[in-house]
Amino acid sequence: MDSCISSSEAAPSFFITKLGREMSREESPHVNRRTTRSSSSTTPNSKTAVEVSKIISNTQSLTVNDLVLSDESLTLEELINSFPHRRVQILELIKLLGPLNSPMIPLFVYGGASTGKTSTVLEIFKHLKRPFIYSSCITCYNTRILFESILNQLLLHRKHENNGYSSAKRCEKPSDFVNLLHDALSTFIDRLEGDLGKSNSKKSALQVNGKMIYLIIDNLEHIREWDKSSNMLPFLFNLYNILKMPEVGLIFISKTSLDTYHSDTGCIESFPVYFPDYTEDDLRQIFMKNQSNPKLYSSFLDVVLRPFCRITRRVDDVTTAISPLYKKYCEPLDDTGITPNEDTKRKLFKHINPYISQSLKETFHVPSQPTLKASASKDKTRRKGITKPGFWESLDEMDFHMSTCAKYLLISAFLASRNPATLDASLFDSTGGSGNRKRKRKSSEKSMEKKESKEQELLMKGPGTFPLERLLAIFQCISSVAEYSPNDEVPQIDGLGTDGWDSGLMADVLLQLSSLCSANFITKGGSCPLEGGIRYRSAVSEDMALKVARSLKFPLSKYLYSR
Amino acid sequence: MAPTADSVASPPTPAAENDLQPFFVLHKAAPPRKPTGKTRRRIDLSPKKADAKEKDNVQVLDDNFRFESFNLRWCKIDCTIRNVLREINARVFEEIDRWVRESFDAIRACGVPNLARATRPHPIFNGAATSASRQLFTAILLTKNVEFVDDVLTFADLGVHLRSCGCHVAQLTSLDFSAKNGVGGCLKTLLRQFLTVGIDAPDISILASWYTEQGNYESPLVVIIDDVQRCCGSVLADLIIMLREWVIKIPIILIVGVATLDALRNTLPSNALQCLSPCGFTLGTPTERMDAVVEAVLLKHYHGFSIGKQVTTFLRNFFLRHDGTLTSFIRALKIAMVQHLLVEPVSFALEGLINEEDTKSFGGENTLLREAMIKRCLDLPSYQRPSRSNRNGDIWDCGLSELKRFRKLWVCVAMCLFEVGKNHKITLLDLYCEMLEPEKLNSRTSRHFELEKDDHSLFGGLQKGDFVHQIIQIVRDLPAMELCKLLKSWEILTRGITEINEKVKELQSLTTFDENRPRRDLTETSKRHTAKSNINVKRDGTTMKEKVATFVDCTIRQYMRPIESIPFNEIVFFDNVDKLRTALIGDPRRRIQADLLESHKFLKCSCCSKNGSMPSPSMHDTSILYTLTQEHGDLINLHDWFQSFKSIISHPGLKAKQRLRMSPSPKKRKGSKEPRNRSDASIQAEFCRAVTELQITGLIRMPSKRRPDYLQRVAFGL
Repeated sequence: MDSCISSSEAAPSFFITKLGREMSREESPHVNRRTTRSSSSTTPNSKTAVEVSKIISNTQSLTVNDLVLSDESLTLEELINSFPHRRVQILELIKLLGPLNSPMIPLFVYGGASTGKTSTVLEIFKHLKRPFIYSSCITCYNTRILFESILNQLLLHRKHENNGYSSAKRCEKPSDFVNLLHDALSTFIDRLEGDLGKSNSKKSALQVNGKMIYLIIDNLEHIREWDKSSNMLPFLFNLYNILKMPEVGLIFISKTSLDTYHSDTGCIESFPVYFPDYTEDDLRQIFMKNQSNPKLYSSFLDVVLRPFCRITRRVDDVTTAISPLYKKYCEPLDDTGITPNEDTKRKLFKHINPYISQSLKETFHVPSQPTLKASASKDKTRRKGITKPGFWESLDEMDFHMSTCAKYLLISAFLASRNPATLDASLFDSTGGSGNRKRKRKSSEKSMEKKESKEQELLMKGPGTFPLERLLAIFQCISSVAEYSPNDEVPQIDGLGTDGWDSGLMADVLLQLSSLCSANFITKGGSCPLEGGIRYRSAVSEDMALKVARSLKFPLSKYLYSR
Repeated sequence: MAPTADSVASPPTPAAENDLQPFFVLHKAAPPRKPTGKTRRRIDLSPKKADAKEKDNVQVLDDNFRFESFNLRWCKIDCTIRNVLREINARVFEEIDRWVRESFDAIRACGVPNLARATRPHPIFNGAATSASRQLFTAILLTKNVEFVDDVLTFADLGVHLRSCGCHVAQLTSLDFSAKNGVGGCLKTLLRQFLTVGIDAPDISILASWYTEQGNYESPLVVIIDDVQRCCGSVLADLIIMLREWVIKIPIILIVGVATLDALRNTLPSNALQCLSPCGFTLGTPTERMDAVVEAVLLKHYHGFSIGKQVTTFLRNFFLRHDGTLTSFIRALKIAMVQHLLVEPVSFALEGLINEEDTKSFGGENTLLREAMIKRCLDLPSYQRPSRSNRNGDIWDCGLSELKRFRKLWVCVAMCLFEVGKNHKITLLDLYCEMLEPEKLNSRTSRHFELEKDDHSLFGGLQKGDFVHQIIQIVRDLPAMELCKLLKSWEILTRGITEINEKVKELQSLTTFDENRPRRDLTETSKRHTAKSNINVKRDGTTMKEKVATFVDCTIRQYMRPIESIPFNEIVFFDNVDKLRTALIGDPRRRIQADLLESHKFLKCSCCSKNGSMPSPSMHDTSILYTLTQEHGDLINLHDWFQSFKSIISHPGLKAKQRLRMSPSPKKRKGSKEPRNRSDASIQAEFCRAVTELQITGLIRMPSKRRPDYLQRVAFGL
């Protein structure tokens, strides 16, 4: 491991120097030409920039200092200590960034989610006190906003009311961006140099180290989602070559490795830095940071961390999962400041153990407001629920309102999605209940193996699609069956109004269907409503369908194929 | 008359101009109920040789009256409903407000970034990895209803409430989260609502700089998304992840409305769910709200309008089985009111009934009108039934006051019953339906009651529908404390109605006496449980309960007479289900089919009417084609269809010829001669147009690739 790192450390420094030399040799004529051309084109722009800067000065103007994280100084030791198990990566990154004013090749920092990539990089810049520009591809959800965000930062432009929250430059095309970026960078670097010159005389202004400017582009993998033309990634990777400015450092941060960005446009010249996932020990170290009662917390982590690490090692996941558990853990204690002995530890373990398994299963827990809980009318179910944290899921009855018609429609959609269409005739023939017998005979004819494989296949395929007609046919069948069965709740409700209203159950079925569709219980495929080629698909889980069926007292399992 | 009614029905309530507001089906208004023979004569007599002109005048006056009184009354009802709903929501809103404050404090506790840092695009990391710094506070407002219409108003109210509490509120709907516009679309709406400035390139950093500016800094930003399950999940997830990046810099608090938690889980991917730090709230369920609305509109506040058993049952079934929204219930009520005003001749003359103080001043100062009204009232069948001899204003007043008294008593009993049922999952609507059918009620009550006395094992025989019986049973089973509470609430409810109130008080005095004694007993003998005293207590309790149950039974029998038996009931009473049903549901598909088959009934032309439903060339093309489809089954051969169409249209084909022979009318022949010289192309064009029309109306489906020469019939049956 060590040897590997040292070799990788050696390689880039050599590379950089070589590259730097090459650049400085080749660059000068290029840069001159470009600046002359662009200066002529941007003379009107510079005027507006002056105006803008005037407006800014009305409120509070940004300075170069704002591009540096310089609230407090951070020593290297502090930096390394604040990121457990990131020593290697921090040192490597610092080495790659190089000493002051040295050019660098683009860096590509990658690693799993929540492994500290962004924070590490930002803290390194805080430590180095070098100016940087940060853009996240989540916040910048299209090319224009990404470009303008970079330019705004570079031009020290701030959106506010007086300028109508507009950007400094309007920029949508990559070609415009390159031009504008080039101008902005050169003026910025000039300013940096000027500041440096000044700061020699007046030391107070000196907060910025060096005359390099770094562009950090975070969440690079999101570009693939929003950039449909897929020109953006090759463009960004080539930006360094296009700009040909040694004063610019590019850092890409991504969740996926460099291999996933390979495109046909050519090689990607960037140096990868990998952030490995945390181990259980690392996690423990991270969680132990800033704890008020480390002993108690460590005994808590002893219990909790191992089962969770088996599932996920993402810091954010584990944090959200264990923070409510810690509260539970401390519940039996009167004083959370105590150092637990073996006995209390054992007691606490016994207390917490059922909750751990519960929260392991749970992905998204929604606590309800305690005051509401107490005053709610359904006290009984709630009281039961308190013993089990995830009571909302375990509630057996339907917990929301739906008209009977919609319920039947939902069930029929579920059936239509689950059962093969060929079975409809045998399941829902006119005799209704007797279909059950037929189905049994049919299934017994088949050999078990065949049936099993088919079952598997059905399960793998997921819910099938069905045309409207089939849905309506099944709907009519099951609603009529339900109405004539003797021991049912529904007909008794009808008892109040049997006068001809029953037949009207069809009246606004289509309206109900559309509302089910909009509630995402049934999904709709196809485009043109006139063509009639629309196919539907039920999107409800079996649990949900069973719940609905239970509320209607409808024997759903009787109608399910291969059950 | 007709246009007035329609225009009344059609404008949607100003409350929700949202597109979710259900539409109204326009109908021809029903003709006003024809006065009985006797009436007609009297009306003829009263204006002394009534001219047509004068009649028209009365008509116009009537219409104006109708319109006015409808507006007046509906305004009142609407107002009541709104107030009721607001009251229901008030508690949840308070909770949400408190939670918003707490969350805002939690966010602020993570540190308030200064201006420069807040607008920088990079995330802020502070050492403590608290959930507040990594997650968005999200209130999940469970609507517990598949339909969303009812909650549109609730969320609007919530926005107003939070704004009044000093939050910045933006309200997004599912329309803002479309896959087409992506995150940009919803960000745009968000910024427009917060900044009140249109932004060209919406960017979350704008929000950050706006928030750091001016005095916005003290209050939380609340984003209300009202119906998450209709949103495009990926767009919403993008927004959530984006907001998460700015979580400390912009203290955004989300409030999302969703039917169930499952729906939320289905809509959002897990990485977005992880960004949420949720807290659940529950809105009132539709049944709760329904009960409250029914209580307010039909019982508590009297609006001079009540619905009968059939209509109530219809509404109830419609609510439970078909629509399930309060909105459509309210709309149905509105339609019922319109129908009632239209059909009943004097229904609109009851301002006096509404303001309970002065009955006499109804109809305003216009004595002439008053005279006419009274006359009309006296013609009402309900009044004529018990034949009364003297007829003057007194009777009218008497009748009215009696009607009012009756109503008061009825409502009182109903409220008392509901008070019992409230805690036992008996909905007011069910109870109301049953209470409106007193004959059945009374007869059964007595029988049932006696049986119950004999044998308590007959519990099982208790029918599900018998809510009143259930209630009596509940009263009988109530523990002493509860009973005491119940009596207390009854006492409050019956205030102002001496007959019942006195009885309740009597019962109350009995119980308090009882109450005091057993309590003392219990305290004294709690340590040494003497069996005797226990038995005593029990016996006292049971007799007490029995008394209360008898009281309930008696009051029901005494005061819950059917409203139909009261004179002048027509003024306020509406029970015409068919009218309401056609007005409410409309059944457009059936209508289209029926009308296509019987077009001659509408066109009333001489050529078609004679040969009934047989297609003739002078009929409309679409009508011909649809008539022809009746001969086919599921599938229609395009070629055959066209040929028969052509044969009908171009020359009287075999059938038509036969028909012609059977009905040798000269007009027919003339008509059939004319289209002979049509070209094939024009026939084809006509055919195509007709087929397309049928397709648009949804009656047929175009041929599929598999069977290119066959059309499919989609809608069957009438």
